[in-house]
Order: sequence, then structure tokens, then C-alpha cells
Amino acid sequence: MLLRGKTALITGCLKGIGYEALQLFARNGADILACCQHEDPVFEEHRQKLAAETGVTITPYYFDLSNAEEIMSAMKRVAAEKRKVDILLNIAGTTEDSLFHMTTMASMRRVFEINFFSQMLVSQYVSKLMVRQKSGTIINVSSITAIDGNVGQTSYSASKAALIGATKTLASELAEYNIRVNAIAPGIIQTDMTAAIPAQTFEKLCSRIPMGRAGLPSEVAGVMLFLASDLSSYVTGQVLRIDGGIG
Amino acid sequence: MLLTGKNAIITGCARGIGRRMLIAFAENGANVWACCRTRTMEFDQFCEDLGKSNSARITPLYFDITDGLKMKEAVKTILAAKISVDVLVNNAGITYNALYQMTSMDKMREVFEVNFFAQVALTQYVVKLMVRQKSGSIINISSSAALDANPGRSAYGASKAAVACMTRVMAHELAEQNIRVNAIAPGITDTDMVGESMTSAAIEEAVEKTRLKRLGKPSEIADAAVFLASDLASYVTGEVVRVDGGLRN
Repeated sequence: MLLRGKTALITGCLKGIGYEALQLFARNGADILACCQHEDPVFEEHRQKLAAETGVTITPYYFDLSNAEEIMSAMKRVAAEKRKVDILLNIAGTTEDSLFHMTTMASMRRVFEINFFSQMLVSQYVSKLMVRQKSGTIINVSSITAIDGNVGQTSYSASKAALIGATKTLASELAEYNIRVNAIAPGIIQTDMTAAIPAQTFEKLCSRIPMGRAGLPSEVAGVMLFLASDLSSYVTGQVLRIDGGIG
Repeated sequence: MLLTGKNAIITGCARGIGRRMLIAFAENGANVWACCRTRTMEFDQFCEDLGKSNSARITPLYFDITDGLKMKEAVKTILAAKISVDVLVNNAGITYNALYQMTSMDKMREVFEVNFFAQVALTQYVVKLMVRQKSGSIINISSSAALDANPGRSAYGASKAAVACMTRVMAHELAEQNIRVNAIAPGITDTDMVGESMTSAAIEEAVEKTRLKRLGKPSEIADAAVFLASDLASYVTGEVVRVDGGLRN
């Protein structure tokens, strides 16, 4: 129970890493503002079951990260409901893979909109609350492709690299308010995003991983728990790789 | 309780960061071989009390890590217990401050002897056991001085950089045996070591460079070690985690 009494705002809760984080954080005692792109009956059922099982509150917020107005009205609701937010997990993300030459500016902008600009907007609203509280921790999800590069992922890797720059700058700007800001850089993780990779290519990718396997979403959530909890009270401005040793 | 049922070896437990690690590991349910150089009544008693209050087995082991024979004896004691060794924390280390041109080769060798070669020797023994188990987590203590350039820290920084490099290589070599190897790079931490080796003006200057504008607490380094030792970090290997309050050079 590393997060008892804390409240976490998590984006991208519907599935994958976000859903795992939602479960792990609830089981560690955090109340959760669960942000999803759209309503979903399966998620709704899981949400209610998890809340009943863990005794924490899990409040859903539905908005599309590509729509700034929806983000703003959701964030205003958080403020109006006088919710405190101790932890912000910016998990939602997207990718549109294509070789650099073939990448349209429209695609490039779409990826940056979701992976970078929308996260900045959410972080601005939430950090305002945290500044008032004089405490908080923000976790951005970058990627090892931001550090290592990856063929066919110019827009994805560049948007994730932008998050690293923002993480370090925010860590500097917000430290005086006792707000820590860190990023994680997952490697190859078993999610819907990687499920789209053809099996043969995926196997080849995994053969490059010293641990010999892709990571699990729950393993990414484990590192988020560390960064969200007081176990990491002297860690800020860092980028932690979760990559089975590729780095 | 992140380490319930795990058995750990921690070196350099007499004071500072190592002492806090010992406490944090015990509080998280681990049994610990608590290694220090010199036997004291105080430490014997401390281990006994810590074990009692946490229902954990805390066994003191006394040896100088630069003494190969003594180390071998200690390893034999560990092997004779016939229990798994799930975690090794190579924490013991010494500090040394002198400008590069004033650093004698003897001093350079002495720093490397403790901070690097001794760790290699102990790790080689323990890795053999972990390979047999096909599991384990090794945590080395590097330093922000290994990654940043700090005047006066050529011997210390280089020895800790060697630790960081070895960490990454070991992570590659041992991953297929399901052994994770990571390092922690503490920044300026409130320990006797820092108090003895830095003037208060130098400490103040260093604090100014951290984003959080304070020294780290030994317990905060210990908490990072608990994380890396635990299954929360099951896909983290080959990492050097800075626990430095956001140090900027």
C-alpha cells in the first residue's frame, strides 16, 4: 500500500499500460481520476468491480485528447469538484508509423497533438492544482525510441523526445513547489500498439532484448508506482528505461 | 512489504546509506546478510533487534572486502546456509577528494581496490549462485560523480564510472539467466562520508545545484534500492538510476 490517501489522475486508462496502472494504483490505496477517450461498458464494469474490491474511489472522466476544448472542460470539472491531485500519469499516446519520406505533415501533427501538446495542456491544469498544494509528482511516458531512434517512427520518437525535454524543464520549474517530474522510457511492451507488429518482425525485435522477451504492461506500471510513491522522494528530472536491458 | 521472503546480501552496513538499506530491506520483509568490515557489539545488537522487530533473519558478517581470504570465508558462511540469495547490494565504498595532479597512484589504486575490484570479486561469487538459481537482482552503487564532472573527484568518479559500465555489461551477460543488474547513482547525500570529505561551503554549493535544493537522505537511496530489488522492477535491467534531487551540472 504505497499510495494510501493519495489521488492519481491517469490518462489512457481504457487498456494497455494505463489500465494496468489503474489497477496497481487502486490496489496500493490511491483514489483515481480515470481519464478515457470514450465510454466503454467493459471498462465501466471493471471500474466498478475494482473500486468495490479495493475500497478506493475511481471517478471516470471521458474526453478526447485531440480535442483541446474537451480537455479543458474535463480539467475544469476536476477543479470544480475540488479534487486534489497528488499524482499525474500522462499515459495516453498514439503512433502512426511510416518512413520519414512518406510521413505527411498532417500525420506528424496528429501524433504530436496527442503525444505532446495534449499532455502539456493536461499538465498545465494539474500542475496548477499541485502548485497550490505545494506537492505532487508527474510521470510522463516517453519511449526508448526517443533516445535510440527507430526506423519508421520519426513522428513517434520525436514526440516522445519532446516529452523528455519538457520533463527536465518542468522538473526545474516545479521543484520549488515540491513537485517531482520524471519520465519513463519503455522498450518493447506487449500492448495493442505492439500487437500490430507482424509476428516475424516482433520476434526479431525480441531477439535483441537481453532478457529475451517483451515487457508486460504490469511491469511498466510497477516503475510508475515507484515514481509516484514516496520511495522516489529524491528522484526528479529523470528518464527511467524499462527495456529488459536493450539500452 | 516489497521484499517478503527474499534473501539479500548488503555490504557496507556499518553506517550511512548501507545502514539505512539494511533497515529498509528488513522493514520490507527481507532476510539480510549484513556485511561490515569491523565487528562491534553495537552492530551485533542492532542486527538482533532489527531482526526481532521485523521477524526477519538479519545476520551480521564481518570482513574487509579488500581481503580476498576473509571474503571467501564470508561467502562460505553464506553458501553453508543453503538458502537462495535473491539480492546483492554492493554498497561498501570509500571516498577520496584530491585534484587529479595531486592524486598519487597509490591512492588511485586504493580507491579502485575498494570501489571496484572488491565488488567484482564478491559479485563473481554471488553470481555463480544466482546462475544456479536462475534468478537474482544485483544493485551496484555508482555516483553522480561518475556521470558528471566534479573537480577533485578523478579517482572516486572514475571508480564509480567503472561500476556503472560494469553494471551495463553484466546486465547484458546475465539477462538470459534471469538476473537483473542495475546501479544507483546517488547525488549529495547526508552521510558521514559527505560530512567528512566536503567543506560546508562545498556542500552548500552542491545543494544549490539540485532542483530540490536539499541533500538526499540515506533512506531515499535505500528506498530506490528496495525498488530495484523488488519485482516492481522486473523489466528494469542495465539502468543507472540517479537519485540526486535533480542535480544539474
